[in-house]
Amino acid sequence: MNLNDVRDLLWLATACYGASFVLGMVKTRHSFSPFFRESPFVLILAGFFLQTRALYFRGLEVHGCPLGNGMERAQFIIWSLIVAFLLLRLVWRINLLGTFCAGASLLLGALSLGLRKWDAPYWTATGYVRLFKDPWIELHASIAIFSYGLFCLLAVVSLMYLSQRQALLSRKPGFLGPYLPPIQELEVAAIRLLAVGVAFLTLSMVVGTMHWTRHPEFVSGSKLTVTTALWVGYLFLLGMRLSNRLYGSRFAKWSIGLFALALLSLSIVSSKSKKQAFYNPSLAPLALVVR
Amino acid sequence: MSKQPDSSLFLLGTSHQVANLNERESIALPNSSIDSFYNGLNALPGLQECLVLNTCNRTEIYGSADATFQFESLLQYFANFRELGLEFLAEKTYQRTGAEVVRHVFEVASGIDSQMVGETEILGQLKKAYDEACERGATGKALNRLFQKSFQAAKWARTNTGISKGQVNLGNVLCELARRIFGQVDQCRLLVVGAGEVAESALEAFKSRGSEAITVTGRTFDWCPLSRRKPDELAQKFDGFTLAYSKFHESLHLFDVVLASTASSQALLTQYQVVQAMKKRPSKPLFLIDASVPRNVEEGAAGVDNVYLYNMDDVSAIANENLQSRLAEVEKCRHALSKRALRLWEQIRAQPSLPS
Repeated sequence: MNLNDVRDLLWLATACYGASFVLGMVKTRHSFSPFFRESPFVLILAGFFLQTRALYFRGLEVHGCPLGNGMERAQFIIWSLIVAFLLLRLVWRINLLGTFCAGASLLLGALSLGLRKWDAPYWTATGYVRLFKDPWIELHASIAIFSYGLFCLLAVVSLMYLSQRQALLSRKPGFLGPYLPPIQELEVAAIRLLAVGVAFLTLSMVVGTMHWTRHPEFVSGSKLTVTTALWVGYLFLLGMRLSNRLYGSRFAKWSIGLFALALLSLSIVSSKSKKQAFYNPSLAPLALVVR
Repeated sequence: MSKQPDSSLFLLGTSHQVANLNERESIALPNSSIDSFYNGLNALPGLQECLVLNTCNRTEIYGSADATFQFESLLQYFANFRELGLEFLAEKTYQRTGAEVVRHVFEVASGIDSQMVGETEILGQLKKAYDEACERGATGKALNRLFQKSFQAAKWARTNTGISKGQVNLGNVLCELARRIFGQVDQCRLLVVGAGEVAESALEAFKSRGSEAITVTGRTFDWCPLSRRKPDELAQKFDGFTLAYSKFHESLHLFDVVLASTASSQALLTQYQVVQAMKKRPSKPLFLIDASVPRNVEEGAAGVDNVYLYNMDDVSAIANENLQSRLAEVEKCRHALSKRALRLWEQIRAQPSLPS
C-alpha cells in the first residue's frame, strides 16, 4: 500500500467507507462502547481525507481539476456527496444518513476502481492538452459536479424514504425501520437538497453559458443538449414538488431515477471539445467528459 | 435468619417473581402508613440505614446494619405491621444480603427485573423512594453509595444494551409509529373515534409526549347520551377537544393520526372517504389505527397513497417482537451488571467506616 499512489489511496478510502457502512448497520442492532460509538463517522472522515489526498495528487498529474475520465468523475461525485453530507450534518442530524452515504460511496467507489478502463491515463498521451485551460470552465465543471454530489445525496435520502415507507407499509418492525428517520423529515430534507442542488446546477449553467457564448467551438451539441435536459429535468422536479403535484414515494422514485440518468449522461456527454479533438485525435475513443 | 458475615447490606422484598397480584396487594404498604413504617424500622436494634421501595409491583426494604442486627426482627416487624402470618411473609418474599443486594438493586434500576422488561418507570420510582428516604434521614454512606451507583448502572444498561429498545406498550407502539411518520409526536393532531381502552392507552401515550391537539368523537354523542363511557369525558380527562360525530368525516383531512376504537359492526371509514380526505392533504401522510373488532376502517384505505393503516393485530405483533428482542438482551445485561455489582461491593467492603 503506497500512500502516495492515487489508486491505492482511493481503494483505502473506499475500504473506509465500506467499514463505516458495515459498522453503521451493526450499530443499529448492537450497542457499542462509548469509545467506538462514533467509529462509523470517524471512518467516513478518514475516507474523505484519503480521497481528498488522492484527488489532489491526480489534480497535480493532470494539471487541473481531475474530471477527465469515468473513474475521476465518479470519485469526484463521491467526494461531493461526502462534502454535502458533512455540511448537512452540521445543521441537521439525520439518523443513518452517514451510513447510507457510506454505502453509496462504497458501491460507486468500488465500481469506478474495479473497472480499470474507466481510469484511462489520458494525461500520459502524447500531445495531451489539459482539460480546463480557462479557469471559468474549470469552475463551471466543478460546480456542476458538486451539484451532482447534492443530487446523489438527494437520491440517498430518497432511498431512505422508500425504505422507511416500505417498513411502515409492511406493518412489521423490520431491520432498519425503527432506526430510520421519519418519512416527513426525509421528504423535507429531500426538497431542500433538491432546491440547493438546482441552485448550484443553475449557477454552473450560467458560468458555462458565459464561456459557451464566447467560445462555442469548445462545447459539443450533445453535451449542450444533455446538460440542458438534465437541468430542465431537475427544475421540473422541483416545480412539481413545490406545487404538490409530485410528492411522497413518486417524488422519491423520480429523484433516484433522475440521478441514475445523470450518472448515465456522464458517459454520453463528451467534454472533449472540437478543439481538443483537433489537437489530439488519438484520445477520441477515451471520450473525455466534463460532466 | 441470623446475620451473615457479609450481611452489612440486606434486602427484604416481594415482587411479581415470587407473589401473585393478590399476595402483593396484601404485602404492599399503604402510602399513608409509610411514615409510621419508617419510624418502626428505625427503632429496630442494630439497623443503621434503611430505604423502602413501594410500587404497584414490588415492595422492598433495603438496609444497612451492624453486627447486633437480627434479620428475624425485621421479618417479625413487617409481619406485625401488615398483620400477616410470619410463614406467609417468609414464603412470599425474598431475602438478600451483601453483594446479592447490590446486584439486585442494579437489576431493578435497569428494568430487567420488571414485569415489562426494560421499562423505565421503575427508575423514576426508585429515585423517588431514595429521595424520600434521604428527606427522612434514613439513608447513610452505604445506601447513598449503593443507590447512586445503581442509577448510574441503569443508565449504562440502557445506553449499552438493547433492553429498552423498541416499545412494548400498545399506546407507546402507536406513538413510535407516529414518530416514524411525522417526526415530532407533540406536533401531531390526533383524532380518537370512540372511547375504548385502547383509545385511552393511546391518549395517555400521546399526552405524555406533549401532544396538545387531541380531539375525541364518538357515536354516543348522537345516539346514546347515557352511555357508560362518553367521548366528552375522555376529552376532558386529557384536556382535548370534542367533535360532533356528524362532522367527523368532513374534518378527517385536518388530522394526522386517526384512531378508531368503537364497537360498531360496520366500517365507519370507507376507502372512498379516505381518498376524499387525502385530496385535501395530498403531500401530508395520514396514520390510521383501527383498534376495533370488527374493523372500523375499510382495508382498501391502506392502498391510498400516503396512508398508513394499522390494526390491533399489527400493533400487538410489533409489541411482541420488541419484547422478544428485549428478552434476548437480558442475559447479556445481567452478566455485565453482575460484574459492576461485584466491583461496587468490593469497594463498599474495603471502606473501613462501613461494617463488613
